[in-house]
Order: sequence, then C-alpha cells, then structure tokens
Amino acid sequence: MKGNERAAAPEIVAEFLGRIMPFKELPLDTLRQVARQMKVDFFPKGTRLLQAGKSEIHYLYLIQQGGVKSFIMDDEGVETLKDFRGEGDYIGALGIIRGALANLDVETVEDTFCFLLPKAVFLDLIRNQPGFSQYYLKSFSEKVVATAYSELRRHRMGRSGDSNLYLFSIQVGDIVRQAPRTIAADASIREAAAKMAEFRVASLLIHEPGDEEQIIGIVTDRDLRNKVLAIGRDYNESIRAVMSSPVATVLSESTCFDALLKMMSDSIHHLAVERKDKIVGVITSHDIALLQGHAPYALFKEIGRQQSIEGLHPLSQKIPEMIRNLIKEGARAGHIARMIAILNDQILARLLTLLEVELGPPPVDYCWLLVGSEGRREQTFRTDQDNAIIYEDPTDETQAQECEAYFVRFAQQAIDHLVQCGYPLCPGGIMAVNPKWRQPLSVWKDYFTHWTAVPEPEEVLNATIFFDFRVGFGKAALADALRQHLHEVTRKSELHLLHLARQCMAARIPLSFFKNFIVEKDGEHKNKLDIKVQGLTPFVNFSRILALKHCIRETNTLARLQVLAKEQILSEELWKEAVDAYEMQMQVRLVHQLNQMDAGEQPDNHIDPADLSELDRRMLRDAFEVIERLHGVLKTIFPAS
Amino acid sequence: MFAFLKKLLPQRSVHPVLLANRRRFAEFDQAKLLTEYCFVVLDTELTGLGYRDEIISIGAVKISNMQVEMGTVFHRLVRPLNLSPNQATFIHHITPEQLRTAAPIEEVLPDFIEFCGDALLVGHFLEIDMGYINRAAKRVLGGTLANPTIDTLRLVKAYKETSYVCDYGYCDQSFPCNLDELVTEFKLPRFKPHDALEDALQTAYLFLFMAKKLNGGQVKTLRQLHQVGQPLLLRQS
Repeated sequence: MKGNERAAAPEIVAEFLGRIMPFKELPLDTLRQVARQMKVDFFPKGTRLLQAGKSEIHYLYLIQQGGVKSFIMDDEGVETLKDFRGEGDYIGALGIIRGALANLDVETVEDTFCFLLPKAVFLDLIRNQPGFSQYYLKSFSEKVVATAYSELRRHRMGRSGDSNLYLFSIQVGDIVRQAPRTIAADASIREAAAKMAEFRVASLLIHEPGDEEQIIGIVTDRDLRNKVLAIGRDYNESIRAVMSSPVATVLSESTCFDALLKMMSDSIHHLAVERKDKIVGVITSHDIALLQGHAPYALFKEIGRQQSIEGLHPLSQKIPEMIRNLIKEGARAGHIARMIAILNDQILARLLTLLEVELGPPPVDYCWLLVGSEGRREQTFRTDQDNAIIYEDPTDETQAQECEAYFVRFAQQAIDHLVQCGYPLCPGGIMAVNPKWRQPLSVWKDYFTHWTAVPEPEEVLNATIFFDFRVGFGKAALADALRQHLHEVTRKSELHLLHLARQCMAARIPLSFFKNFIVEKDGEHKNKLDIKVQGLTPFVNFSRILALKHCIRETNTLARLQVLAKEQILSEELWKEAVDAYEMQMQVRLVHQLNQMDAGEQPDNHIDPADLSELDRRMLRDAFEVIERLHGVLKTIFPAS
Repeated sequence: MFAFLKKLLPQRSVHPVLLANRRRFAEFDQAKLLTEYCFVVLDTELTGLGYRDEIISIGAVKISNMQVEMGTVFHRLVRPLNLSPNQATFIHHITPEQLRTAAPIEEVLPDFIEFCGDALLVGHFLEIDMGYINRAAKRVLGGTLANPTIDTLRLVKAYKETSYVCDYGYCDQSFPCNLDELVTEFKLPRFKPHDALEDALQTAYLFLFMAKKLNGGQVKTLRQLHQVGQPLLLRQS
C-alpha cells in the first residue's frame, strides 16, 4: 500500500455534499469527482460576496458554516432584506444558470466558510444530471426567489409585467401625472366647473384666496353632481360651499398599496399627494384600478354593492384566494393582515347593514365590537370569530326587554351568516350570541373595572382578549366611552398591568426548539412550534401592556409599537427589531397556512421545524431573541418586588 | 553516532529535486498579493517527539488564490526505519501493518517536495514538522527545503495581541495554542484530529481565518502578513 490516493478529495467534502440536496442524489463516483473540484474560501463577517448588477458569479457557493444575507439596495442606499441563508444553503445558482450578473447583494452576517464549486462544473451538472436542474428550477419558484424576482422586476423592468405587483412596488409619487389643478376658495362654482372642463380633470384642489400653497379642500365631479346639480344650487355661490375639507393626503413615497388601503378604509376616491409638505398632485381610485386590474379593490367594491346577505357568502369565500395571491406576489405580512381586516370589516359592515334592514332598526344604538386578534387586525386566512355587542344603556325596564329581544335575534342571525361566510365559531364562546358578551355600556364598564381589580387567571385572560377591542360596525362613541373608562381605571391603579407583565414574562422563549431540532436530525422528535402562542403572543402581550400603561388607543401590535417608539417609550432600534421580528413570524405563519390550504388541510399555527428552511430557522431564532429584550424592558418597568 | 555520519556521507551530492527547490526560491519577492502565492499547509505524524523519532505520515493541502483546493491534497504513510510494535501509533489510527507496507521516506519526500512546488509552507507549530522533514531531507536528499514558511501559531499570537485587548488594557498572554482548542475558540469547522491530512486541512482553515481576520482584514500582501506576525519567515537555509 502506497498511502492514500493523491487526488482523492478529503472525506469532509463528500460527506457535506452527501447531506445536501440535490448533490446527495448523485452517484457516488460523480459525487467524488465533484468533490475534487471544490475549493474552500473564508469570508469574515461583513464581507460583500456579490453585488447586485455588478458581480459576475464564478462559483456556486455552498455554505459549510456561517450565514449570509441577501438584500437589495435602492438608489438612495436603503436596504431591503430579502433572505438569510445558512449551513447547507447555496448562493449564486440562479445567476449561473441564467448567465446573468448577481441579482441581489449578498453579504456575510457571520464568519463564513464556503465550499466553492466552479461555474463550469456546476453547469455541467445542470446539463447532465436531470434531477439537478429540476431541483434548482423548482426552488426558484418557491417563495424566497419569488420575492427576489418580484423585486427584480420592480428594479429592472418597465411597467409591463405582472400588474398586481405594482401595488407594492410603485410609489404614489410615481403615478402622479400632473401638477395639481387648483382654484381659490372664493371662486364661483361655475368658474370651478369651467376650469375642470378646460383642464379635463375630475377634481380641483381648493386653496385659500391669496395663498396658493395653502390647500384647504377638494371638489370633484361627484360633488358638482350631488351638491350642486341634484339640489339646484346657485352656480354663482362660492366653491367653498361644496368642497370637501380637509383633503385626505398620502405621502408621495407611500406605496400604491398604502394608498389603496387608505381609500378603502376611509371610503374616499381622491387623495392629495404630499411631498415635503407640499401637495404635488392628486391620485384617484381609478388611477390605482388601472394599475392593479381587478384584485382587492374590485372585491371590496363588490361586497359593498351586495343587496342580499346570501350574496355575501360566496364573496367572502374569495378573500383567502386573494390573500394567497398577495402573499405570492411578495406583500409584507403587515400589509396582508391589514388587507384581510379591511375586507372582513367590509363583509361585516354590509352584512349588519342588510340585517338591520331585515330586522328593522334596533331600539337603541349599538356597537359591534371585534376583540382578540380581530380587534388587533391580526387575522390570517380563517380566524375564529371574536365579537361582542355593546349597546346604549336602556332608559327603563321595557326598553331593556326590547333590547334583549332585538339583540338576541340580531346576534344569532349575524353569527349564523358569518359562519356561512366562512368565519368559524369561537370555541371559547367569545361571540355576541353569548348573553355575557351582549350587554349595555354600563355592564361593560363594570366588567372592565372588575378585570382590572381582580388579578385571577380568568380575569387576566379576559383582559388579554377584550382590552384589544375595536369598532367593527355601529356607533363608535360607545366603544370610545368604554376605551375612556379603561384608561381611567388603569390610571387609578396599574396593579393589573403588573399581573399582565408577570404573565408575559413567565412565557418561556422557545429557543430550545432550535436546540432540539439541531440535535434530533432523524425527525423522531416531533417537537413542533406553536408560532402564535410561543412566537407572536409575546409581542402582542408586550405591546398591549405598554399601550394600556400609556393610554394608547391603537389595538394593532405593529401600530402600538410604532406609537411607543414615537413617544420614545421604546428605543428606535428595539422598535425596528421588534417590527422585523414580528412581521417575519407573521410571514412564516401565513406561508405555513397557505401551504396547508394548498394541501387541502385546515390551517393551524403548528410549525414543523422540518418544513422550515435554514433561513427561516435563523430568522426565527433572531426573532425569539428580541422577545428576551422586550422582557428586559418590562422588567425595568415592573421590577419583581 | 559514527554509523549516522557514515550514512550521511554517500548523500553529499544534492538530490536534483532539492536543487530545483533551491532554484525556485533563489529570488523571492514578498511584495505580491497573498492571492498570488501558493501555500501548502502540512502536518506530519511522528512516532514521538524524541530525537530518534521519525515521520510516519505526511498530509498536505494546497491553497491558491487564498482558497483551499480540496482536490489537491497529499497524504502518504511513511515506513520508519525503526518500526517498533510498541510505538504509540495507536493514536493515529495507523496500524503497524500499514506502516510495514508503506514507502520509505526516500520515496515519499521527493514526491512531497514536488507537490510543494513553489508554495510557501504553512503549519501549526511548523518548526517541529520542519525539523523532522529537514532532518530526513538532509539524510536522504543531501539538504533542506528552501521554501519560506509560515507558522499559524505566530499568526494566532499576533491576532490575539491585536484584537483581544481585555478590560485592563493588556492582552492575555497565556493563550491556548493547541489546534483543537483554537478550533473551539474561533468556532471553525472541525476535522478529525490525529490524522495528518485532516490536521493539515484544519490548519488550512485556521490559516485562511487568520490571514483574513488579522489587522481587521487589511492584510493584503505577503510582506504585510510577515510584518503583522514578526518574525514569520524562517531563515532560508
């Protein structure tokens, strides 16, 4: 024996390749040949491996140890994170196959050792190993590359591709076609109409006489029709009398999707576009409809036009499909949750409006409350109903009985219809059909007082569900009064916050999940992660506690965090990390549920680690570490006595 | 002692492989970029650390363009002159039977020198390896290797002195120098210890890590590397 073969690659390379797809499918001798071509390089943390649009890709990088992030940097140098990759993941396949320059910036986030497979060898495998190209082509269609691709389109292509994409990528400022047409408020209606005809526009902005910069209102075709022609108003009256004021504005750097959400939630069609405190133009719902073809806005309008409750059932079934498309197009989880809430709210509003017509008007004003995740606007595809009714205190016993009789029917029918619309019943019975959750304002106030005074488990649980209430439909003043009451009792005693904080801090951070996973590779350990309870709830609880403490009215977790940062209760840095961590987990959850629905399963929150890519695991681990820091904040505010 | 000198005498004429080796390094420019040099990272397994101990295995891997070429490796067993069954070769997972059938150093060494070509030699505690290699080279080839050498141990020392200043303002001088401990400390991918090739690869990883981390990644040329870890290069003999 003359010692080992000189040309044999070290075992470690073949072992590594034998563990990762698609290399592990190669015949052993091919694998060894490939191993022999490999090089190893080391990139300290912070090394830029590839530069989008500049770097030629000479190797397929296979990460032996360490991690990289890929991102897109726009012209202003703002980074948008696209992906994390870790051990066993690859970089550069897409570029090599397409013969293109790198499409993303790639930088190491840890000290990283990579195996490098020369481009020519990789292309040879792609050509000669059928399973090989399939593997890469398949993974290209998966979500990460899909989002990378949509970003790519946004950056590289003109306005010709997939239209829905533009909602997320095009900024409002980009679709403003012309400077705003304006007229002084003291001009007559006739002059305004003549100006609109001259410029062929459907709206005019109204400025203070003598100061063109000071925009005070807007007048549209619709205003002329409804407020002038229909009622025979004198054309010589000043335009001030018929304008809508103030003008709803949107920042020019907002995405069109943001503008759409605003139009949908405020039921308006025109938005003035603001850039550096100056109105630079007006966009209309029509401009946006042109961009997106049909999708969300059309569904929204269709719901609003429905004349029968039964007609709402099939429409609401369309929501998951639409959300699915939004996810596939790369919408952010925060946006998606808002869109789901807007559409669900629209269904609810239409349903209750029609129901009122059917049952006759209610004896007193009421407000349909949404609580729990619906109250926070954090539903996913199919979330259980969480609702309640609060109505005005009846003046006497007769009216009280009338109310009871009316709202019992009203609630029962509403809940039945909601079920038919695809919103399952709440297993915990937190619904307006439950007499406990269908009460006049004074009773609700007593509930809240009691829950803040008695820190027993049930009260604490109710607090976490009901304190996140918001108006679903009906008289908002009732909900406002209840919110006011909650702030007052909290101001008097913060004791209940201490209990909420203790409960929040008692939650174990699921970092061991990763340890288990790493140790138990054979999948025998069926340790699943409940991403809602273990991952998202800590953020929700944290935000709720601080929102209550500081009398912040928002119920949405991201919105609460934003206010907390704005008020400098939370550091800017921690706020950003918390937002990233929270959105990332929502995204994982949405994609998980989307996959389940595609497979015909009932969506849930149980994530099997085996389904996660290395990137997801890494990002989840980082997200969980943020929880620890949030707990640290709580500890300083509520020290353990 | 006399027998040893007698053995040395017939080898007075220098083996051609060594002559070629010397010519390669007659002029050596340190100013070039690290990526323009070749390095051979090596490790030897010995029968022990005494004067009479011998090399029983050489493992090496080539680095060019500052990338480890996993397909360009050297791994050979060497039959020692004194093959004692009691020797502690057990730790190397090399059996006496394997050694009995291995080639003698006279055959392995020229192959190894050829493998090294114009590369600089890199190793951890390299002086020990080079001591045994050069002793054997003198005996069987009539001279020593001219390749400049770099000891990763010195790089590690320089790295710690420049980057690990503790709270008290001075650095901890008592650092672990064992390869295994360093791998743990710097969290490098781990190879199987006590195998010449695996240890050479392990050292190659350590070398890349050091070369790219020293001086905040600002070490670009061989001379800079030299200056960071003074004195890096052994005398050329």
